[in-house]
Amino acid sequence: MNPLQKLHTWIDVRIGIDALLKKELTGYLLPRNINAWYSLGSILLVLFSIQVLTGILLLVYYVPDAEKAFQSVTFIMNQVPFGWLFRTCHAVGSNLMILALFGHLLSVLFMGSYKSPREFNWLSGFVLFNLVMGISLTGYLLPWSQLSFWATTVATNSVGVVPVIGEQLVEFLRGAKSVGPPTLSRFFVLHVVVIPATIAGMIGLHLFLLKRTGVSLPPFGLSDTRNAWRGEQYRYEDHPDGIPFFPNFALRDLSSILLYLALFGTVVFFLPNLFFPAQAFVPADPFQTPDRIKPEWYFLPNYQTLRILPSELLGLAVQGAAMTFLALLPFIDRGTERHPLKRPLFLTCCICGILTFVGLMIWGHYS
Amino acid sequence: MNTGTRRRFLATSLAALLAGTAGAVLYPLLRYLAPRRTDTAQQAVRIPLAEIPDGTAKFFDFEGKPAVLVSSKGKLACLSAVCTHLGCIVQWQKDREEFRCPCHGGRFAIDGTVVSGPPPRPLARLPFTVANGSVTVG
Repeated sequence: MNPLQKLHTWIDVRIGIDALLKKELTGYLLPRNINAWYSLGSILLVLFSIQVLTGILLLVYYVPDAEKAFQSVTFIMNQVPFGWLFRTCHAVGSNLMILALFGHLLSVLFMGSYKSPREFNWLSGFVLFNLVMGISLTGYLLPWSQLSFWATTVATNSVGVVPVIGEQLVEFLRGAKSVGPPTLSRFFVLHVVVIPATIAGMIGLHLFLLKRTGVSLPPFGLSDTRNAWRGEQYRYEDHPDGIPFFPNFALRDLSSILLYLALFGTVVFFLPNLFFPAQAFVPADPFQTPDRIKPEWYFLPNYQTLRILPSELLGLAVQGAAMTFLALLPFIDRGTERHPLKRPLFLTCCICGILTFVGLMIWGHYS
Repeated sequence: MNTGTRRRFLATSLAALLAGTAGAVLYPLLRYLAPRRTDTAQQAVRIPLAEIPDGTAKFFDFEGKPAVLVSSKGKLACLSAVCTHLGCIVQWQKDREEFRCPCHGGRFAIDGTVVSGPPPRPLARLPFTVANGSVTVG
């Protein structure tokens, strides 16, 4: 027995690593008709890890002080070896993470995977989606550029339309009457401690729920695509005739991850300024609002809704209603059918919703 | 090509690919975290004699490390202020005319030699010249 095998045996007899690996890898069976959309969760885990790692690296040189923040980011980009790489990866990663989140959300919607008994999975995913939006918003301010300063001013201002306590809410969010050094401190703490820790906890809960319910059966290539769950008692959805997670699905997962990383690399190396408009390279000036300041692409639909509706309160109410509807979808849509083509009303609403979202985004961009 | 050779070739290729990827990630990471080179090396420090009256010491930064210039009974000495025991910064004891390390009580004479305590070596002496009413260190 070579030393490596000896070490393996030494560990195995203590914590039963072989049995665990067999149960979670080769013995973990997934549906035979599983598709690439199921890899979006793994892609998101990889992207979150990249964000954590690059974020920690940026913290080595970033100074969360209104006087020094912009300088420190410029220093990272221009002076520190490979600083540009880690900063660009962090910025591109956040955008691609949101893109993958949209994909994950839509795949769950179209395949009806949010239906019983997966209400908790959906809700935890919905919370995660909002947390990622929150971490993106708070991170946006940290470079203390004209873009980040004014985009944050506009974003925090929109909370002011809440009746009665609107102004107090805005001041509480900013830590002052207007965006300034206290806002940077607050957003920094939220961005590097509070929200990442909450996201990590929610990811843990999301995976725990997935382990308890089992992977859903994709509604494609089957004669009966209705939800088989009746709700009499707890039942783990297993797939005894399925394919093993390792090596079968793990390799497909890896292919999807590498494909996504190729897209990531393409943006980082060939389109590094895709998410950096000119105002991102100018230090924040609280007395000079630049022309046509816009939020990030994923906040453009919200921004445009607030602009086109007659009152901001109505805009906020419409967005609140849409988000509440999305959060409570598993409790509203009680039908058992899961195949999207057999759910014409759902499919129509879903496509209209996507077109409205994309339309508002484009309108917001060019308006 | 038989199965054994093909497997070995694939395993070697995969290992090379993984090693290449690890290198491509680790190299930027190490360069990013490596301490930045400063251009303080060999930069002379000029201190006017008026700043060091007899019996006093002046601490300053020399080539990135603390140094001390001391004047006593008409004599000048320029030394590294880093204790040779565990790297604490020595303090000038005017009344005793010696240096004392606050960490473990090491004592050094004005020329840097160890008087007592745990320091294994004298304080490093730094080259200096006196001209036109000022001291130039380095």
